[in-house]
Amino acid sequence: MPARENNNNKRLEVKLGRLKLKNPVMTASGTAGYGAELAEFFDLSKLGAIVLKGISLTPWQGNPTPRITETRCGMINSIGLQNVGLDAFLREKLPFVRQWDVPVIANILGTSAAEYTRLASALEEAGVDGIELNVSCPNVKEGGIAFGLDLKSFASLVRAVRARVKKPVLIVKLSPGAPGIEEFSRAAEGEGADAISLINTIPAMAIDVNTRRPLIKNRIGGLSGPAIKPIAVRMVYQASKAVKIPVIGMGGITTGEDAVEFMLAGATAVAVGTATFMDPMAVLKVVQGIGAWMERHGIKKASSITGAMLT
Amino acid sequence: MGFSAPDIALPKAEPGQFFMFGVKNCEKDPLLKRPFCYFRRRGNTLEILYRVVGKMTSIMKGLRPGDEVEVLGPLGNVYPMAQAVCKTPLVIAGGVGIASVYPLIERFKGSAILFYGGRSKKEILLRKELRAISKKLVVATDDGSMGFKGTAVDAARDFLNGRNPDDFVLYSCGPNGMLKAASALGIQGYIASEEKMACGIGVCLGCAVKTKEGYKRACKDGPVFKTGEIIFD
Repeated sequence: MPARENNNNKRLEVKLGRLKLKNPVMTASGTAGYGAELAEFFDLSKLGAIVLKGISLTPWQGNPTPRITETRCGMINSIGLQNVGLDAFLREKLPFVRQWDVPVIANILGTSAAEYTRLASALEEAGVDGIELNVSCPNVKEGGIAFGLDLKSFASLVRAVRARVKKPVLIVKLSPGAPGIEEFSRAAEGEGADAISLINTIPAMAIDVNTRRPLIKNRIGGLSGPAIKPIAVRMVYQASKAVKIPVIGMGGITTGEDAVEFMLAGATAVAVGTATFMDPMAVLKVVQGIGAWMERHGIKKASSITGAMLT
Repeated sequence: MGFSAPDIALPKAEPGQFFMFGVKNCEKDPLLKRPFCYFRRRGNTLEILYRVVGKMTSIMKGLRPGDEVEVLGPLGNVYPMAQAVCKTPLVIAGGVGIASVYPLIERFKGSAILFYGGRSKKEILLRKELRAISKKLVVATDDGSMGFKGTAVDAARDFLNGRNPDDFVLYSCGPNGMLKAASALGIQGYIASEEKMACGIGVCLGCAVKTKEGYKRACKDGPVFKTGEIIFD
């Protein structure tokens, strides 16, 4: 690793409710598996937090292939929330990632409020540090997007899970398709969420004009990567204006400067997703990049960047 | 194309493995690295073999000696070779799939029988080298412009007529249609799948391969699978 180590001092520290992070950078759910693959490349304890691949009560098989395609400065995916299910997660996956001194945030998804609450209870018992409600995956009809687009069912879901979860921080991941991002953000806050995260991928499509076939088997997938960054920055800005709870910003972050941009817009922390596919070390490079930016600009505390955009 | 890394010892790659290959660009276009099989090693240079088909390979074609590239690897699993001690390795390759089996054939030191197919003569590469390292080389082209007219699998089926399939172990890499047909020859062995990949390290779940045990990752659980393991649509 390059010389600069930012983990041993407190200037990069930020807080998500009660949860203290060494630095503002975490993995985006679905881009870090359950930690084992990235652990082959770097020490996971250097992350602000690790957000794991979404899990459901029972294993989900995922969608047929092709599941991914690259588009200009972005990629479309339709993985379909393939996951090992709660039991295998608790038995095989969670113990592994717990070996590192890093907050573990589980991402959960279900087809009903009852499934979400069962998952949340089991994960609280298993001792995860945070639970992220996935109500925004565009790739499966039952993957919570129904909750993410309807304010009433959204609010009642957050309320139901909040009633069960005491110790882990509760994060609600919003859909970029939510009608009125401010309203949804306020609803999450009003129902007791500790933080909100956004944005999930944006529904998108690409067609091979030579074969005339869709480049994703499911036809429509979710767009991610640098192509969506300006939209994500705008939504993070609007959401953070609407609420007092911390906002976790994501969407196309590949560098420290990108992360700073989200923080200036109002994010307390950020998540790196597609960039990990481009380079397994991307998350750490973003941590270092934030530190370098702070040094160049004479900023002492990362937390002071949040919402510090000048107008 | 060859690449070397002057500052580090080049990793030892094994037949079947691959590298994620990218070019430096600030425009993030192309965004992701692309997977290429380990082809061969010459001195301090690792080589991959590619055909120009899209944006990345067009850029690769324009690279000059000394240009910097980003390479991640070697990744993925390796062709098991133990069975080839008592059986004859029967290799079937299609198109640029030849790159994947080339180091394997080299490893077999002249004991492998190779059926190598392409659409036409133009697609058949490295004929001289391949003849030199294999026991027998059969070229097959769809249009009959070189060798056997038909697919490499057709040529292998002709060869196997009257022979005992249990005397052979199959190794195959190429398009899915070829792998499916090769798997149906009745020879046990191994096939290497080619899938679109985003990360190459097992986290994106993009390169899913449908198997008898559900979806597996071509990058991490493969690219080499046992014959009969993959379910072809």
